[in-house]
Formats: sequence, structure tokens, C-alpha cells
Amino acid sequence: MKNKVLIGICIAIFLIGVIGSALVLFAPHGTKVNIVQDGAVLYTFDLSVTEDQTLEIEYNGRTNIVQIENGKIRVVEADCPDKTCIRMGWLETGSLPIVCLPNHLSIEFADEREDLDAVIK
Amino acid sequence: MKRGILTVILFCFIVSCAACADDNGNTLDEATSEFFAMNTYISVTVYGKDADNTVKSARDRITELERLWSVTDENSEIYAVNHSDGKMITVSEDTAELIAFALRMAERTNGALEPTIYPVLRAWGFTTGENRVPQESEIKELLNMVGYDKVRQNGNEIQILNNMMLDLGAVGKGYAGDEIAELLKENGITSALIDLGGNIQLLGTKPDGSNWRIGLKDPEGAGNVGILSVSDCAIVTSGNYERYFTASDGTVYGHIIDPVTGYPVNNDLLSVTVIAKEGKICDALSTSLFVMGVQKAEAHWRQYQDFDMILITKSGEIHITEGIKDNFSLDVNHGNMKVGVIEV
Repeated sequence: MKNKVLIGICIAIFLIGVIGSALVLFAPHGTKVNIVQDGAVLYTFDLSVTEDQTLEIEYNGRTNIVQIENGKIRVVEADCPDKTCIRMGWLETGSLPIVCLPNHLSIEFADEREDLDAVIK
Repeated sequence: MKRGILTVILFCFIVSCAACADDNGNTLDEATSEFFAMNTYISVTVYGKDADNTVKSARDRITELERLWSVTDENSEIYAVNHSDGKMITVSEDTAELIAFALRMAERTNGALEPTIYPVLRAWGFTTGENRVPQESEIKELLNMVGYDKVRQNGNEIQILNNMMLDLGAVGKGYAGDEIAELLKENGITSALIDLGGNIQLLGTKPDGSNWRIGLKDPEGAGNVGILSVSDCAIVTSGNYERYFTASDGTVYGHIIDPVTGYPVNNDLLSVTVIAKEGKICDALSTSLFVMGVQKAEAHWRQYQDFDMILITKSGEIHITEGIKDNFSLDVNHGNMKVGVIEV
């Protein structure tokens, strides 16, 4: 009896984990992408119409090279120490931006639901 | 952001040019200029004929006004007034007009807008960023130098008492927004968005004829409380959530000072957003209604009704005047906030 309860709890935790991961990985997103450095948007691309290209983004003498290809975006080269941004691969989900912490850079899907002209502060 | 130093220098200037079509299918130019002035980040986007040149003259006009009104720039007219040792000073038409407006609004709001509060603001360190809590006796002393009714104005001639200081910060950006909107209109621009560090001034609708969608920032957290869908108006928010400091005893002090007590405003409000035709009205009222608190702010609206407002209270309520309620939609993540309509 006790075992069954434990197994039940384990299955529940497992399912919550799977559902959670699915929500994170398949979070809905549009095609607009922001490249942000220190909170300021450097570039905005609509990946559905942007031509293939590479961009060099500098921070304090260090650079990240960002590639846009076939409507996808990723960091291909970086001279930051950890290279996490490269290992994250193509930007795929609305909930998990590509981040290069050392170079204060992040690449994320823009929230199109709030397609605003300005914000009152 | 380091205030004061960069005010005159435009550290950033970007002009981009593109073409887009209005709702009749006519091609319109689009031009944007972004720069630093009046202690804030300013962005002007215009759509229309010769947008590129017009946006440049808008930037020049803002720089010109800033030079007149800076409290810290030794060459400004306000600096001359503040260092006049009680003598009469002759100022330009722009400055005289703005001072007259500030004094009118001070009277209308019973001193809740106080264009001579600067010495107290400075004692709290809000002008330098080196914040401190002044002694009560010091505040009392400084309040003797505060009082819009002590400012003498005769046309372009301004006189204040020795040790008094005039600061048009609470109305200057609003006035500048109006001036820019006027300048753009004279140049045939029918559609523009002017963002003066979060003070928004809208000329006409968007080029496609639809309303502008303007987010209203959550004073307490990330994201927006809701969205205003509006055209041809100005919108300004005041609150103590943008510039504040925490004292050693944990008390949080904001940058809007209650002119009666000399202490930062601490009432039932988190923020006040004013929507009206003129930016300067929005600017002056958002500050003074914030000082007043919910009850007096609503009474003020009922008395004048020449503006609309959105009050966000500390208890998580949104009070919105009936004239603007249909233009406001609550953000999905802020569904827990209670929205109440202020009626006549």
C-alpha cells in the first residue's frame, strides 16, 4: 500500500516534469527576434523575412558572431570564456533566450502579443 | 544613468529613413531621431513628407529649450534667475511662457505643483544622486524658501527672492512635447510619436489610421499593467517608483516631494497617469495629483474634467476616469487588479 502511494507520487512528479519541460521547450513564439545588450535592443529581426547573414556584436573589446540562416538564429563564434551561447544552438523556444553572460548579450523572441508603439514610464 | 553631465551633449543620434504607406496608399517617409536631452532619453519618430529634415529640426528645438531651462547649466536662463540675488531677470518668450504656465498650475493645484521646491529636492540628494535624509530642522528651514506665490512675473521679467530656486522640471518635458508636436504639424507631419523618457506625445494616429498602442508600466513589477489605445494626445505618468532610495533604517524615499511637509510623498498612490491634449497639462497634473492622493485627485478631476487619468493605488486598484476607460485594456497577467471607473 505504502509502496503504491510512493510510486504514485513518483509518477506524478515525473509527469509534472515532462509537462513542464514541454511547456518550456514548446513555448509559443512569433518570428520576431530581439538582440539585446545590457537591456537595450540592438537589433530586431523578423526571421520569416530576414535574409541569411552574420553579425558581429562587440562588448568591451570582445565579440559574438551571430548567424541568421533559413529563418533561424544562433551564435556561431564568441570569445567569451565559457562558450555557453554557442552550445545553446539555434534559438528555438520563446521561454529560453540564448544568453552570453560575459558579453551581456541575449537573443530572444520578441513578445508580439504586446506589440506596443511605446511605454509610458 | 549619470544625470546632469550629459544633458547638453547629445550622445546618441540616429536617423533612419524608410518608406511606408498611409491608409490611402500614399507613400510616407519615416524618420526617427534618438538622443539624450533634458536628463532623459528622447525618441522622435515621424511619418510624412520630408520626415528626415523635420525630425532634425525637432531635435534642434528640444536642445534649444533645454539650454534655456537647465537648472545646472550656468548659461541657462533658469540658472540666471536662480543666481540673481533677488534681482529682476529678463527671460525669453519660451521661458516666460513656461514659468507663467507653471505658476498657473501651481495655483490651480493649490501648491501641489510647486515650481520652487528645488532646494528641498536638493537636500534629499535627488538632484545629485547622493541621497540622504535631511534633519527635520533643515527641511523646515528650506521650506521657508519655497512658495510659488513669492515668484514675481511681469511679462518676460522674473524675480524671485534671494536663496529661492525655480525648477521647471515638472513641466518642461511636457511643454517641449507640445512644442515639438506643433512644429511637426506646421511641417505637414500628420503622424508622429514623441517619447521624452517615458512621457509620450502622439500626433494623429498611426500612419495606417489605427490608434497607437501604448503600454502602461507596472509601478511595482515587470511588464505592463495594461495597454492604452489612443491617438492625438499626450500621456505622462508620475510615481515614486522610478527614482527613489532606501535609507539605512529601511525606509524608502521617492523623488516627488510633498511641498507642505518637505518629505517625499507617501500616500495611497503608486502612480498617476494623465491623458490630455497637451503634454504640459499632463506633466504638471501627473506630479501634483500624485502629491494629492486618491481622494483629492478624483475631486480635482471632477472639478476640471479637462483631462483623463489612471490612478494605481498601493492596495492594487486601478481607478480610471470614464472618458478613457474604453481605451484601456488590462494586461492578462494583471487580472488580479481591481479596476474601478471614476464617474462625475
